[in-house]
Amino acid sequence: MKRKVAIIGGGQTRHAARRHDVNQVELVNEAVRAALADAKMTIDEIDAVLLGNMEFFEGCHMTDCWLADGIGAYGKPGLKITTGGTVGATIVCAGAHHVASGLFDKVLCIGFEKQEEGDTGAILSGVAHPLFGRSMAGAAVGYFAMMGSSYMAAWGAKEEHSAMVAVKARQNARKNRYAHLKLDIGIQDVLNSRMLAYPIRMLDMCPASNGACAMILSDEKTARDRCARPVWIRAMDTAHNEQFEISWRDVLDRRPKFSTTCASRIYRKLGVADPAAYFDVFEVYEPATWAELQWYEDLGLCAPGQGFRLVEEGKTGIDGPMPVNPSGGVLSTNCIGASAMLRVWEAALQIRGDAGGHQVPKEVRRALTTGYGGTNWTVMTALSRDPED
Amino acid sequence: MEEEKVYGPFEVDQRIRAHSTYYAGRIGSRFYTELRDRKRILGSRCEECGKVYWPPRQTCGRCFSLLGEDRLVEIGPLGTLETYTTVRYSEPVHPRKAPFVYGIVRLDGADTGTAHFIGEADPGELRIGMRLEPVFEEDRKGNILDIRHFRPVR
Amino acid sequence: MSHESAEQELIRIPITVDVPYRFAAGNYMSRFLIELRDNGKFFGIRCPSCGRVQLPPRIVCAPCHVRNEEWVELGLEGTLTAFTVMYLPLTDPTTGEPHEPPFTYGSVRLDGADSNLDHIVHLGDEYDSAWVGMRVRVVLRPREERIGDLSDIIHFEPLKGQEKPGK
Repeated sequence: MKRKVAIIGGGQTRHAARRHDVNQVELVNEAVRAALADAKMTIDEIDAVLLGNMEFFEGCHMTDCWLADGIGAYGKPGLKITTGGTVGATIVCAGAHHVASGLFDKVLCIGFEKQEEGDTGAILSGVAHPLFGRSMAGAAVGYFAMMGSSYMAAWGAKEEHSAMVAVKARQNARKNRYAHLKLDIGIQDVLNSRMLAYPIRMLDMCPASNGACAMILSDEKTARDRCARPVWIRAMDTAHNEQFEISWRDVLDRRPKFSTTCASRIYRKLGVADPAAYFDVFEVYEPATWAELQWYEDLGLCAPGQGFRLVEEGKTGIDGPMPVNPSGGVLSTNCIGASAMLRVWEAALQIRGDAGGHQVPKEVRRALTTGYGGTNWTVMTALSRDPED
Repeated sequence: MEEEKVYGPFEVDQRIRAHSTYYAGRIGSRFYTELRDRKRILGSRCEECGKVYWPPRQTCGRCFSLLGEDRLVEIGPLGTLETYTTVRYSEPVHPRKAPFVYGIVRLDGADTGTAHFIGEADPGELRIGMRLEPVFEEDRKGNILDIRHFRPVR
Repeated sequence: MSHESAEQELIRIPITVDVPYRFAAGNYMSRFLIELRDNGKFFGIRCPSCGRVQLPPRIVCAPCHVRNEEWVELGLEGTLTAFTVMYLPLTDPTTGEPHEPPFTYGSVRLDGADSNLDHIVHLGDEYDSAWVGMRVRVVLRPREERIGDLSDIIHFEPLKGQEKPGK
């Protein structure tokens, strides 16, 4: 990158099922004010504002227009981006490009979703190909359920393994005061919960959350002058699949796909030979438990087909050697437009040592985050405590 | 050699029907309940800028001050017509059948105007700067159409 | 202050957006849908570079970036590559009607194709008896009811005489 980019502040709302007390702009404004307070900045110092959410999820187009007052965008340059579920990370990527290019020094990045306001099922069906799948739209649950049944058939994993991921996520969330679903559950609770689409049960599924996340990115000089503990964005990459030809749920397909392509490029940029050893913590975008197991394999944390062994052996627990989603992940908080940005922000908190109850109990120098958008788009971000590391 | 078949262009009709909900928030709710229950119109005053915004909002776009419920002030009920247009074609999504008039109304005490219908007037007699008054519905629900339209003060 | 807030009526405004669309299928999909409607046949398209027979048929092979020209007639039988049993009523967004749960829903690779087609697999009362690798057959609506859409397929049904391996 032309210039170094640092995360010098951020904030998030307390994610919840119901936020009737605020409208969209007020919800987002909470995160924006928290980020400005964290960075000890005023809105006047911000050079550009980037906003993202799931297009039309709240029944409202051009949220960049309607939220202009509350996001401090009045009169400022900025962009609105929509890339499905990965938009939060796309906004961070775009923000980093704005700073790295030398055109802007301080950029405010915002992701949000006021999930309760939208008819998610109906709008999500709009993602399906109008002529080849819309009438049969299986919704997100169906897609990941099929991934789950393929995974079990291919590798011999059991429903218990999905439950292990769900339990890890919700128990981690109990330590995260911002998380939505803080559930004191065990494996049996998950296996006893209602089946939604075999093999996915109610307690395997992510929630619908109302929430927002905001982050402030800056150039090196601003970071050194203004921030006690900047977190450096060392590399980013994005990759997109084609939905029909290469399906993420085809667990036996060895062809390069969005997740493996993006991971291999980012590892090449940084010279990573063994990601499990190189990175101290991972925040992945897992819309379903089976997706997390697939991420373990696609990120190269284990061999193909061995993802379920990692969670079985506790390796990805909060105190394990390769902690994955100590924040509770998307399984605990899913305000879609913010979810991918929360992965980056939570990873930044780990590096800063500011994650509070869900801080991983080891030294955190480097972190890797992923995003996931329907039709298989990912944005991966590698963060570090040190701009040269 | 395969016979050259001609396939005509194929079009598919579909629709997307989505039921969304807008939560007005605390300040928005005050605005709508005052409108519904007491036929009062509220704006938000920013002390820093000395401006009153209609509709009311929680953040001043210019100076970023927080405008809480204590910043709500009554405005109107009379106002001035800032600009208007007559819609002469009908679309299914239009709330009224053509011809009907949209105008920007700036209520007394407010620094910004907002769009609403202008009724009980011949489009030809409307003038920018005209004084207007709101006409409230009898059966009000707590949304902006609790004001049926604005009409010229006669 | 918070006491007042707890009592405050919080307004919600329902908004329904109902928008009609007319999609042009384009050259390649038109042919696929017309063959399905008129002749009850399925056609995929083969990439000259990687040789994969793709569904839905499209003008460019995504991984290879070359133009597809070779149409391949597919079989009416296939293999189930993935499935789930739905316990939620899934609404068909094009009709507004829900499919009654529980029902099996799967991804079928028609003979001759390299990519899949998702649809309902009809197993009646034995809705949880599917397995990856099951052989299935397309069941189409009669000609006069077909309109040129994937819903011209009523469902897939299992071929007779198979047994789940390792039973």
